[in-house]
Amino acid sequence: MKVRINPDKCIACTTCVANCPVSQVTVKYMGPRMIGPAYERFRLLAIPEEESLTYCSNCKNCDITCPQGVPVSSINMLARAEHASKFGSSLRDWVLAHGELQAKLLQIIPASLKNFGMLNPLTRYCLDRLGIDKRAPLPKFAPKTFRQMLRKIEQPKLSKKVVFFPGCFVDVYDPQTGLDMVWAFNRAGYNVESPDSFECCGLPMIANGFWEDGRKRARANLKTLAEWRKQGIQAVTGCPSCALVFRHDYPDYYPDMTEEYGMNMLDDAQDFLLGCLDSGELNLDSNKTPEDVKYIYHAPCHLRAQGNGLPGLKLLRELKGVKVEEANAGCCGISGSYGFKKEKYDIAQAIGAELFEKVRDSGARLAACECGTCRVQIQHGSGTKALHPVSLMRQRLDPDYSIKE
Amino acid sequence: MSRKTDVLIAGNGLAGLMAGYAAAKKGAKVKIVSEGMGNLSISPGCIDVLGYDANGKRLETPWDGFGQLNDEHPYALLGAEKVKGALTEFTSLLSSKGLALTGAQPEDKSGTNILQPTIMGTLKPTWLVQDEPGAIEQLEKAKRVLIISMSGFRDCRPRFIASQLARYPAWQDRIYDTVVLPMPFSDLGRSINALDLAHFLDRAEGRDWLKSRHKGLGKNHDLALLPPMLGAKPDSPIRSSFAADLGCPWIEMLSVPPGVGGLRIRHALVDTLVDMGVEFYENAQIREGITKDGKAHSIRLHASGRDMEHEASTFVVATGGIVGGGILLGEGTATEAVFGTALTVPADVDDWSDPGIFGKHLISSLGMKVDKSLRAQSLDNVYYAGRTLGGYDYAAEKSGHGVACATGWHAGLLAAEQALGGNQ
Repeated sequence: MKVRINPDKCIACTTCVANCPVSQVTVKYMGPRMIGPAYERFRLLAIPEEESLTYCSNCKNCDITCPQGVPVSSINMLARAEHASKFGSSLRDWVLAHGELQAKLLQIIPASLKNFGMLNPLTRYCLDRLGIDKRAPLPKFAPKTFRQMLRKIEQPKLSKKVVFFPGCFVDVYDPQTGLDMVWAFNRAGYNVESPDSFECCGLPMIANGFWEDGRKRARANLKTLAEWRKQGIQAVTGCPSCALVFRHDYPDYYPDMTEEYGMNMLDDAQDFLLGCLDSGELNLDSNKTPEDVKYIYHAPCHLRAQGNGLPGLKLLRELKGVKVEEANAGCCGISGSYGFKKEKYDIAQAIGAELFEKVRDSGARLAACECGTCRVQIQHGSGTKALHPVSLMRQRLDPDYSIKE
Repeated sequence: MSRKTDVLIAGNGLAGLMAGYAAAKKGAKVKIVSEGMGNLSISPGCIDVLGYDANGKRLETPWDGFGQLNDEHPYALLGAEKVKGALTEFTSLLSSKGLALTGAQPEDKSGTNILQPTIMGTLKPTWLVQDEPGAIEQLEKAKRVLIISMSGFRDCRPRFIASQLARYPAWQDRIYDTVVLPMPFSDLGRSINALDLAHFLDRAEGRDWLKSRHKGLGKNHDLALLPPMLGAKPDSPIRSSFAADLGCPWIEMLSVPPGVGGLRIRHALVDTLVDMGVEFYENAQIREGITKDGKAHSIRLHASGRDMEHEASTFVVATGGIVGGGILLGEGTATEAVFGTALTVPADVDDWSDPGIFGKHLISSLGMKVDKSLRAQSLDNVYYAGRTLGGYDYAAEKSGHGVACATGWHAGLLAAEQALGGNQ
């Protein structure tokens, strides 16, 4: 591990502790200040790792709240990687970190068979023994990946183009959200490309300590982005976690890559669409006149961490006949693969409890959230279906389209 | 759709949030941009207005000291009536969120500062606390005092607190009983703090755990002193039932960070602002304020590898002081961080502080110099609030949250009035 973050900007004020979702529900985690900057000083002296590091969910609320600009969660992820490189990782963590690879290997098997294979009680029992909680809401494989479906649909011939980074969740489990995104960009006058050379952003690997695997994904993705950038074409994603990894984590963790390929920007698709609204490229007029509706919106922590506000919420609030309540209930608890782990499942549910209650109490039939695993967690915890803001936008505007609730 | 906002507030500590509340209440479109979140969430959450005068003499009531303030003091600029008005807005907002602040009403002429015990066993003059309403008079009257803590809570030691308190004449002839409840968590490997307990007691399992242990514990006492453990939310259910179960009124002692009470206030303020539609841009570095034609035009933020410019009609700068990053120090220079105003400081850095630690340090009151409208001379659409302001030493005089609350509220009001007036 060559990258180190200097912990000495931390003044031990405990603002991160007061705002850490994990610390709120369990005392097993020593808290971001202790495990991050404070313990980092011991790590520099080669003192063995503190066990409770595994409780950090990498949700980044510590980074968001730190008044001194210390990237606490990054210190934690680097420490986790260093520990894994010395002592290895569990099979369970490998499985959770490499969903992309498994999806690729299983590609020839029909989705129904895959889903039966993965989600039947016997498999869930075995996975539970492995450490993936049998109560956790494992998402279902879609019959075709987003990128397979994109090749089949005929987009209108438009003069402008964007490159869309789908992220594993949309590509493997939720291609419909990707197609809704394509519809929105087409409407704004952009054709959408989503090259096969894009790989997983690497976040599940980084968060589970598979540092070198993350680096390989970073290289592949930055290389692809650099090629598109040369053509002057902008890249966007609808997934806040993927965007955060490209913009924040790659430069922090793999600075040599940034040197090699330049600073590569993956823009927030919702922010891009807001820009289109500003410039007049996108209009929200429609002859479809659906009933007035209320949504409840959850802001993903990884979106809040980007310093760009909540563009998806703004977009929803521009729609006619739509009232949006912002849940403002903190973290949903899932944090990617964290909430699927057997020893973390109850923690994740406890973190999300306030959000689930707010969603249920809101009276909204649909919840809105940009992050795929947040949506899974919201549905699991509250029983309310959750959709991407751009899917909701399409539902309101596209006369030929409806979403099954 | 325009992305320009009416009022842009830099900083989301108590001053920034109060400014946001005032501006949103006036009907302005408000955006709050911030890096980190100030110190409100770790503060004990008592509102100091003015505890000591400039000579270090303790004040019976803050208003006694207002006449002697220097001309540049934020309170002197606003005047007592405006400070009281802001405090009234603040307490009614918190009470609407389920958090009752106790203390004298600003209009109550006989109202005095509360001398609130801390977990160090000291008494601190403050104006508003989060205690059970019936407990305040017991602070003066109580004969039999119960001090409660938990095993494993290193920062809160009842017998030490009792021995410290007994050094104050008013607390000398009292009977102290101490109880250390067992540690509610096993295999922790670290000391616990008040926030651990507050979160624990916000959960049903925590309340069940406590129920069998504290019931009737205070039935022979006039007052119980607790660490700030009664929930981390403004409306934590345990706060309303605790006194009846315990058998006597309680107060929460003021604690070192994390102080819990501030977190309750923060939750109440942020919930209110979100419901009012205020937009938050968190985790963004403020790079610079941009001016055009002699007016502030926008603020440039840097986040996740790129710059973004945010335009507004008016601005409130509540970015904190030296520690918070609102005032930048160089060798012989001090600068306000957003719009770059140079502050007047002695050329020799040795003159910035006093050799004695409790002496008068220039850096303690170093900040923006503003007029009665909380604006500096240079830009007429920028207002300053909280510790970014100069002219007061909050640590020595005990006025931090009071100044933040009052200047935040009025800066927000004025910024909204100017923005809305200008737009019509």
